[in-house]
Amino acid sequence: MGLIKETLALMRKDLVLEWRGKYALSGILLYVFSTVFIIYTSFDEVEPKAWNTLFWVVLLFASISAIVKSFVQENSPRQLYYYSLTNPIAVILSKTLYNIGLLMVVSLLTWACFALMAGNAVKDNSQFFLALFLGSVGLSITFTFVAAIAGKADHSATLQAIMSFPLVLPILLTLIRLSANALRLEQDSSISDDIAILAGIDLLSLGMALLLFPFLWRE
Amino acid sequence: MKNHWWKALGVIILLYTFTAGMLLPLKPGIVAVNPSAVRTGDTVTLSVQGYNTFFTQSKTPVRAWLKLDEQRALAAKDIEVISDNALRVSFDIPAHLPVSRRVQDFTLLLDNDVDGASVLPSALLVTQDSIQPERGEALWANSPITDLHEKSGITFPFRNILAETIRNTYFHVALWFAMLFLFIGGVISSVRYLANNDLNADYRAQAQTTVGLIFGLLGLITGIIWARNTWGAGYKFWNLREVDVKQAMTMVALFVYLAYFVLRMAFEDAERKARLSAVYNIFAFVALIPLIYVVPRLTDSLHPGSGGNPALGGEDLDNTMRMIFYPAIIGWTLLGFWMAQLYYRLIKAQMRVDEG
Repeated sequence: MGLIKETLALMRKDLVLEWRGKYALSGILLYVFSTVFIIYTSFDEVEPKAWNTLFWVVLLFASISAIVKSFVQENSPRQLYYYSLTNPIAVILSKTLYNIGLLMVVSLLTWACFALMAGNAVKDNSQFFLALFLGSVGLSITFTFVAAIAGKADHSATLQAIMSFPLVLPILLTLIRLSANALRLEQDSSISDDIAILAGIDLLSLGMALLLFPFLWRE
Repeated sequence: MKNHWWKALGVIILLYTFTAGMLLPLKPGIVAVNPSAVRTGDTVTLSVQGYNTFFTQSKTPVRAWLKLDEQRALAAKDIEVISDNALRVSFDIPAHLPVSRRVQDFTLLLDNDVDGASVLPSALLVTQDSIQPERGEALWANSPITDLHEKSGITFPFRNILAETIRNTYFHVALWFAMLFLFIGGVISSVRYLANNDLNADYRAQAQTTVGLIFGLLGLITGIIWARNTWGAGYKFWNLREVDVKQAMTMVALFVYLAYFVLRMAFEDAERKARLSAVYNIFAFVALIPLIYVVPRLTDSLHPGSGGNPALGGEDLDNTMRMIFYPAIIGWTLLGFWMAQLYYRLIKAQMRVDEG
């Protein structure tokens, strides 16, 4: 069970680093808060349809800036150190799991910000939080993997954005549909298909990430 | 010649596609009917405009029906042939229709022994003054549609909105398939790079992806022109809610592969560039596959295959079209791989020059 142990140890390290710096989470929180404030001041009243779109756009940008740093902060000597010490699968798994947790916190905070300032448009809580959960999982798998690629370049933030936006499009389209249903913007009985598609996408991209990451790691 | 036969084959197939696809005529069809809306109780005279029809050359008189449904149809009272492409048809519309709708649409059906049968769905809208289905049943003079002729000779189907633009199938759709095959080729080359660490495989992936991108752009442009001609200028090709799977996947694939090239530009070192872009190429290709399931669920689109629009398969792609459409896919794919091979050699030569 070396893999699980290594993964947990690496996650703990990320958590401790974050706790000491409190840099990522506070930065994201400030970003979300100021964006929602702008939305709140420019719209007199946020209609459910706009609420739905704006929520996911804000969350998309918040999560991309939360995740882009995951590999940049690891400088190359430290990466070499991990390389000699651990299994590459443990590295990507720990980063992905850590980012899933981070994104869930970020998405709950975004939702809280929206509910506080723009009003809570959610009608079906369980469906909406299921969408948040599946969305956080899917976005963090793809973003983490792309961050591993983009982290090797100099302008990683730009590269991260242009590489990952088209890739998360299937997830995002399904998420917006799912949450439109949770906001009662549309009624659809086949919503379980959307959940299955989302879970399928999450599993597919996780599998690809685990399969391909060792090739990135080798250099 | 042993290694180059497929290039010649591609060119021959494409020449065949161009010639047959552009020169074969369309089946006769009905373009327009005037007036297109009448009231009950009148004797209406419709001027019918045919396309590729030969009304004057028919040995038996031209016959016409207004079809209500599979069982019920009205026969024409009088038919006057004006020219090969123009007819005047009179119908006695009864005072009441056997339906409980105020406005009923009728399909116009023409038949003669040269052109065979041609159909215009919803050609005539009839408005009832009062709705009395029982009296309509009594007044209805049914004349079943029988003994339709078949058009002889090789033709493409006539579709009402598409008309001559149906030939774009051999370009727009075939280019899209060729693009897909080129991208798959690129992914296979990327996998081979990761397996063997052979830089040539990476150059091949780059070349195939570039040509695939060009084909995708051409497919998008032909699609935009086609959509403007058939669905009107108001059609927004960039609106994902109106876009279908193929169009959406092309758009997203364009973004993904543009990012692929930006990624390649970001690295100087050839090995590093090759490794990272190969990994991204594979991941991106797999990540886009779910779009096939996601996009059709968004909403009905105008594109073939959804919301009652004609699509590949069924009666819309008839056997004549298949004889050209499938070769067109093969021809474009072969041409694409030929282009990719030439570009691959160019990249290799460029590398050699750069190394001095």
